[in-house]
Amino acid sequence: MRVTRAVLLLVGVALIGLGGWVLTETVSPTRYGGLLVWLIGGVIAHDAIIAPLVAGVAVLLGRTGRRIRPAVLAILQVGVVLGVVLSLVVVPEIIAKARGTKNETVLPFDYGVRLGVAWLVVAVVTALAVVVWTVLARRREARRAA
Amino acid sequence: MRRLLLTLRTAASSPVRNARSATVLGRLLGAAFLICLLTGLYSHFLQEPASWMRFPTSPVWLYQVTQGIHITAGIASIPLLLGKLHAVFPQLFQHPPVRHPVQVLERASIALFVATSVLQLVTGLLNTYQWYPWPFPFKQVHFALSFVIIGSLAVHIAVKLPLITRYWRARDSYDAEGRFVEPAGELDPARAEHEAVRELARMRRDEAPTSTSQPDAGAAPTDAPQPRGLVGRVTRWIDDAREPERDPARARVSRRGFFGAVGASTVGVVALTAGQSFTPLQPLNAFGPRQRGIGPNDLPVNRTASAAKVLETAMDPDWQLTIAHGERTMAFTAADLEAMAQGDERLPISCVEGWSQTAHWRGPRLVELMALVGAPADRSLRVTSLEAKGGYRVMLMGPEYATDPATLVALEVNGGRLDIEHGYPARMIAPGRPGVLQTKWLSLIEVI
Repeated sequence: MRVTRAVLLLVGVALIGLGGWVLTETVSPTRYGGLLVWLIGGVIAHDAIIAPLVAGVAVLLGRTGRRIRPAVLAILQVGVVLGVVLSLVVVPEIIAKARGTKNETVLPFDYGVRLGVAWLVVAVVTALAVVVWTVLARRREARRAA
Repeated sequence: MRRLLLTLRTAASSPVRNARSATVLGRLLGAAFLICLLTGLYSHFLQEPASWMRFPTSPVWLYQVTQGIHITAGIASIPLLLGKLHAVFPQLFQHPPVRHPVQVLERASIALFVATSVLQLVTGLLNTYQWYPWPFPFKQVHFALSFVIIGSLAVHIAVKLPLITRYWRARDSYDAEGRFVEPAGELDPARAEHEAVRELARMRRDEAPTSTSQPDAGAAPTDAPQPRGLVGRVTRWIDDAREPERDPARARVSRRGFFGAVGASTVGVVALTAGQSFTPLQPLNAFGPRQRGIGPNDLPVNRTASAAKVLETAMDPDWQLTIAHGERTMAFTAADLEAMAQGDERLPISCVEGWSQTAHWRGPRLVELMALVGAPADRSLRVTSLEAKGGYRVMLMGPEYATDPATLVALEVNGGRLDIEHGYPARMIAPGRPGVLQTKWLSLIEVI
C-alpha cells in the first residue's frame, strides 16, 4: 500500500504540473483571471448554494416526514432528485436555444416543453410507486397482525 | 468556531454521508473520468497528431463510438459528481480544519479536484449546446484541465487509499444490523493506513465488527458538548430531525433512497441524451442537442455555407478541384469528377461534440484521384477548402487515410447531390476521423 500511495502521489503531482504547463503554453495570460473566477465560482456555487440547500431540505423533510413511512420518503427523494438533475442539464440547453443557434439542426427541439413533460412523467411514476408501495406495505402489516 | 463547525457538520450528517458511500461513488466517478480522459486524448491526437502518429481507419465507427462514449460518460458524471460531493460534504467542516501537514495537501488537492471537475463538466456540457459564456477558450482549457483533474484525483486516491481499501466491500462497512462502522483514526491521515490495515485484519478474524467511533467524528451529536443559546437551539432542532435515522432500518432505507436517486438520475440523463450518439437509444432522445435525420440531405449541419462565406465560390459554374503533386497538377470540373468511376461507402460523420450519423456517400475514390498525379502511398496530403478563413480551412491528412480505399471525394450523400451546407460541389469523407476534418467545399489537394 505504501508503494502504491507513493506512486499515485508522484503521478498525480506530475499530471497537475503537466496540466499547468499545457495551460500556460496554449492559453494567453490575459485569460487566467477569468478562468480563476470560474474555477472558484464553481466551488462556491456548489459548497455555498447547492449543498446547503440540499442539506436544508433534508433536515426539513426529516422533521416533517416523521409521519411518512421512510420508504415513501426515499421514493419521493428519487423522483425529486431525478427531476432536479434533468433540469440542471436541460435548463442551460433552453437558454442556449433562446440565445440563438448557428443553424436549425443545432438544438432543434422545444426543450422547455420536453422538460415539463419529463417532470410530469417523473411525478406520475413517483406517485404510482408511492401508492403501490403503501398498498403492499399495508397488506404485509395486516398479514403480520393476523 | 469549533461549535459552529460541529453544528454544521451535524446538520450535514446523514446515514449516506460516510466513507463507504464515498468509495462506491468514487469508483464509478473515477472510471467515468478515466474514460473521458482516454477518449478525449484520442480525439485530441487525431486533430493534432505528432508527425509520427498513425491511426486505425477501421472499424469505420471507431471515432464515432469513442466520442459518443466521451460525451455520454461526461453527462453521466454530472449526477455521480453531485452524489459524491453530497456523500463527503460534512468533511468540509472538519475541526480543527487541519490536524496534520498531510491534510494541507489533502484538502488542497480536493479543492483543486472539485473546482476543475465542476468547471470541466460545465464547459463540456455547454459546448455540446454551442454556448460559450466564459471568458477563456474552451478547447485549450478543457484539454489542460483534464490533466489537472486526473492528477488531483490520483493525489486524492493516494491520500485516501487506506479508507478506500477499508471500505471497498460492503460487508466490511456495515455491522450485522446495518450500522456503518466508523473508521478508527478517521481524521488522522498519518495513522490512517496503519489503522485501516489493522482494522481490516481484525474484521477478517471476527465475524461481527464493532463500532469504534470517536467522540467528535461527527457521528452522534450527543457525544459532543451540548452548546447553549442560539447555537444550542439550532443544534437541538437539527438533532431532533436526525433522531429517527439512528435506527439502522431507517438508515438502510435512507441509503437505498440516496443510491436510488443517484442511479435513477445517472440512467435518466444518459438514456434521454445518448440517442444523439447511439442508434438503440434514438427513440428516447428527448434532450440531446442533436437529432439524426434532421437537416439538408437528412443530415445535421455544423458549419454552414454562409458562416464559411462560400455561397458564391461554391456555386460558381467554373469551379475546379485542383490536385497537385510537385510539378504535376491536374484540375477537375464537377463534370469530370462525376464521369469517373464512383465509389459507394457507408461512413459516419462524427462530431467531437458527441453526435454522429452514418450516411451513404458516393463519389470518386481518393486513391484513384491521387494515382492520376502519381502520388506515392506514404505521403500526407494538405487539403484546402474554399472557405475564406476558419480554423479548419486547411486540413492535413495522413497516408493511412489518403490510401484507404474507403476515403471518397464525395459528390452525393443519401442518394442526392451534396447540399451546399454539406460541402457542394465536393467534400472529403474518410473513415474514422473527426467531422471537422471531413473538409467541405474542396478546392485544392496537395501531396506534401
